[in-house]
Amino acid sequence: MSFRSGSTREHETSDQSTGRSASPPVPESSETEAEGLIFYHMDLYGSKDRFDIFPEELSGQGDRSRGDTRRESALSSEKFQRSQEAGYDLEREVAELAKMYGLDEDREKELELLGGHLEMVESRWPPAHTEKQQGLPGEASQDEDQSKAIAEDETESHIWSREGLSSSVMSDEWNSQAVSEEEEAANVFCSTCKMPIRAFDKLFGEHKDHEVAQLPSAVESEKEEIHKNMCKLEEQIAQMENFASHLEEIFITVEENFGRQEQNFEVHYNDAVQVLAQKYEEQLEALGEEKRQKLEALYGQLIHCGEHLDTCKELTDATQELYLENDKASFMKVKTFNWLEEFLKKEVDLKLSTLPDFEERVIDFSEVEQLMNSINTIPAPCAPVINPQAPNAATGTSLRVCWGLFSDDTVECYQLCYKPVSNETRNGEQAAPSPPIIKSKKIRSCENAALVCWESRDINPVDSYMVELSKLTDEENGNIITESIVGIPNCEVLIHLQPMQSYRICVRALNLGGSSERSEPVLIHTTGTYFCLNEDTAHPLLAILDDGFTIACDELENPECDLPVYDNSFTRCIGILGSLIPFPGKHYWEVEAEEDTEYRIGVAFENTPRHGYLGANNSSWCMRHIITPSRHKYEFLHSGMTPDIRITIPPRRIGILLDYENCRLSFFNAEIAQHLYTFTLHFQHYVHPCFALETPGILQIHTGIAIPPWTALP
Amino acid sequence: MALKQVSSNKCFEGFQKVFEHDSAELKCKMKFGIYLPPKAETGKCPVLYWLSGLTCTEQNFITKAGFHQAAAEHGLIVVAPDTSPRGCNIEGEDESWDFGTGAGFYVDATEDPWKTNYRMYSYIKDELPKLINANFPTDPERMSIFGHSMGGHGALILALKNPGKYKSVSAFAPICNPMQCQWGKKALGGYLGSDVSKWEAYDATQLVKSYPDSHLDILIDQGKDDQFLSAGQLLPDNFIAACTEQKIPVVFRLQQGYDHSYFFIATFINDHIKHHAKYLNA
Repeated sequence: MSFRSGSTREHETSDQSTGRSASPPVPESSETEAEGLIFYHMDLYGSKDRFDIFPEELSGQGDRSRGDTRRESALSSEKFQRSQEAGYDLEREVAELAKMYGLDEDREKELELLGGHLEMVESRWPPAHTEKQQGLPGEASQDEDQSKAIAEDETESHIWSREGLSSSVMSDEWNSQAVSEEEEAANVFCSTCKMPIRAFDKLFGEHKDHEVAQLPSAVESEKEEIHKNMCKLEEQIAQMENFASHLEEIFITVEENFGRQEQNFEVHYNDAVQVLAQKYEEQLEALGEEKRQKLEALYGQLIHCGEHLDTCKELTDATQELYLENDKASFMKVKTFNWLEEFLKKEVDLKLSTLPDFEERVIDFSEVEQLMNSINTIPAPCAPVINPQAPNAATGTSLRVCWGLFSDDTVECYQLCYKPVSNETRNGEQAAPSPPIIKSKKIRSCENAALVCWESRDINPVDSYMVELSKLTDEENGNIITESIVGIPNCEVLIHLQPMQSYRICVRALNLGGSSERSEPVLIHTTGTYFCLNEDTAHPLLAILDDGFTIACDELENPECDLPVYDNSFTRCIGILGSLIPFPGKHYWEVEAEEDTEYRIGVAFENTPRHGYLGANNSSWCMRHIITPSRHKYEFLHSGMTPDIRITIPPRRIGILLDYENCRLSFFNAEIAQHLYTFTLHFQHYVHPCFALETPGILQIHTGIAIPPWTALP
Repeated sequence: MALKQVSSNKCFEGFQKVFEHDSAELKCKMKFGIYLPPKAETGKCPVLYWLSGLTCTEQNFITKAGFHQAAAEHGLIVVAPDTSPRGCNIEGEDESWDFGTGAGFYVDATEDPWKTNYRMYSYIKDELPKLINANFPTDPERMSIFGHSMGGHGALILALKNPGKYKSVSAFAPICNPMQCQWGKKALGGYLGSDVSKWEAYDATQLVKSYPDSHLDILIDQGKDDQFLSAGQLLPDNFIAACTEQKIPVVFRLQQGYDHSYFFIATFINDHIKHHAKYLNA
């Protein structure tokens, strides 16, 4: 062994000396050494980030199994050395740190590597220390190889443990040092013995028949292996964590389910117990009843017996009396003999009328059994609650029913039962109402809706109204009701319709006595916007002509004259409001005016001041036409302000587009499709068309016009 | 004719480009700006021609007017040519800013030394549309025209002299009656000679009087605080009166507080683009 170690040492020395010459200049390393921290960075051996968490666990475990004993001895000798260096605190600190991070083996290796350098660094180290260091290789020479081999083996597993100490500056220098050193020290890996050896050993040592591979590549493959294993470990950890949290959830669910089942059972068992108690009571009562009957019967019999006895006794007495009669003739006369004979002929009923035994009563558990069997996991659900019938939820042949379930019960399906309610209440208690009359002139509609109102011409009370619609198609099924709206409380309704259609609408009144006949129908076309004029708002001097859509003013004198003024009518401005359906979307109408008519036309809020002028306040917007001596003047008024606009062709037919969606009110010369002006604003409320005359003249209003394409936003 | 692209900038998902070409009418190299909306990548688009005013080049409109968003939205190609031939080395062309370079007045000059090169009317009417239609995805049937100041004058006269060619016309502060204002007199005199009757053919107010049909929808915006309005260079009232007489539909808006600048143009350009889009996209 000594020979071997000697030769080894020599070889090493020579190796190291060669290595030394090939390695970076020593002063660098010695500088770094001087810091006293002999740690080197292991990052050349692969990813270290992953293994931060395992310094404690894996240090001192795993691959250590191999060659432990051999190492142990090396360690102990080392430690022995160290313990002797009591005075050198840093060393001890280092040793402690090393132990903590399982760096002992590495330390060995360092010392190994240092071996060759020790001569160099002698001057820097306290002599005593150096000597001891020097002593090491010799003493532990035998174990150098193995320990170094093991150290190398274990370097990978300790990579992470090095992390914490990798902040030292000299690491890079040491790396290159270390590499070069290692390559010379042991550069071949023996797969058979699973340890690094020197090439020399392969040729000449015990490994000469063994499989070998290049040390770097062996190292690489070893690293890969470990890397893979680490990955798998990580995966497992993630899985377990997921599973753990899942389990927690299940925990909670189990508790919940338990709670529900518990409740469920309680309810059911209570029911069962109740039923039993009930049965008991019933049977008991029946038993009591039976007893009573029996007793009664017996009592009756007893009475009867008593009576019989009395009778017998009387007879006996009578007979005895008779027997004592001395008069033989009268003795023979008395019919007493007959009595007795008759009496004795009668049968004596000595049978018991009733048995003392009570009948067998079978305790009927069937119901209870049923109950018990019905205790299953899912309780029957609570009854749903049907919503009251909403308007617009029925047609002539169908009905929409909605209900809600107000419990947490599990429901598989619902079962709807219905039956027609007969008209049996029509038994003269109350007469059905007469059909209402739809105010056809007051119908307001647009492309998508209609507002219909009617009046009830009945003294009979009315509970609600029902509207029936039929959409008119080209076929002859105009009488088929396509939709009906029930439960209307007032005399008006807003119905949603489809554009470009025609509908026939009628109304019925309903009360307890039943439903009225249908009213006269009205036709509604959803081709455009229809509105009517609100006569109540007309200024006294403004006349509405017969067609209902032409307004005229004859004279302007005394606009504030003493004609009757209604609360709602304009007082100064000779104007009138229309009644536009309060519905979003677009509305279009046209106004025809002669060239010499001065007017204001536009829209206004319902509550625009009746004492004001249209356009002069902030609740109205209008186009105003006046004629000056030189030209036609056009103003677009709101809050009394207007832009300065000249129009060369006085429009005779003005198109007005009210577009709630796009926030605009536009005016057009409808004859030439010329856009005149647009107010851009967001209407806060629904508005009504407004019209006013400033000179004697006529304005003709046209409604129900489909929105022309040239009014669209380009 | 070969087009050379001078610049290209992406704008509102379309492209603002500038091209240069050799003009046969003007006998010099001419540049023009052209905005191609995103729609032009997949289909043919109508074309809106913009004519700029005195001292402008093809750059002013494309950089200052802020029209790209509206043009992109409505899918319109917008072409902005230069205001006169350049680099012709004509004596006196750079003497004043309101005559010669940058002041073509959209006429075909008949006087020397201008008559060879200063043919902006024919350039805008024929050569440029032909060039544009041949090189870009245009719908040759759908064309409209508008402009500012001298360009407004150009737009009006081109529309009035070519009924049916343009679907719509509009203008910002146009020189409506050049025969009656200082600018017009100088330019028309210089390009066309002293025979005033020859000027009528290039005066919108005059042309309206003999305009054959009324199928034009004219929108005019005029800043109320425009110095040139008060200086009597623009004379919109004359034009309006003539249109009223002839029943040509015009909506003329006098905009409170606005002047003659591109700030004014930028404020109302969207309304004008919408006005044209209504007819071009119909």
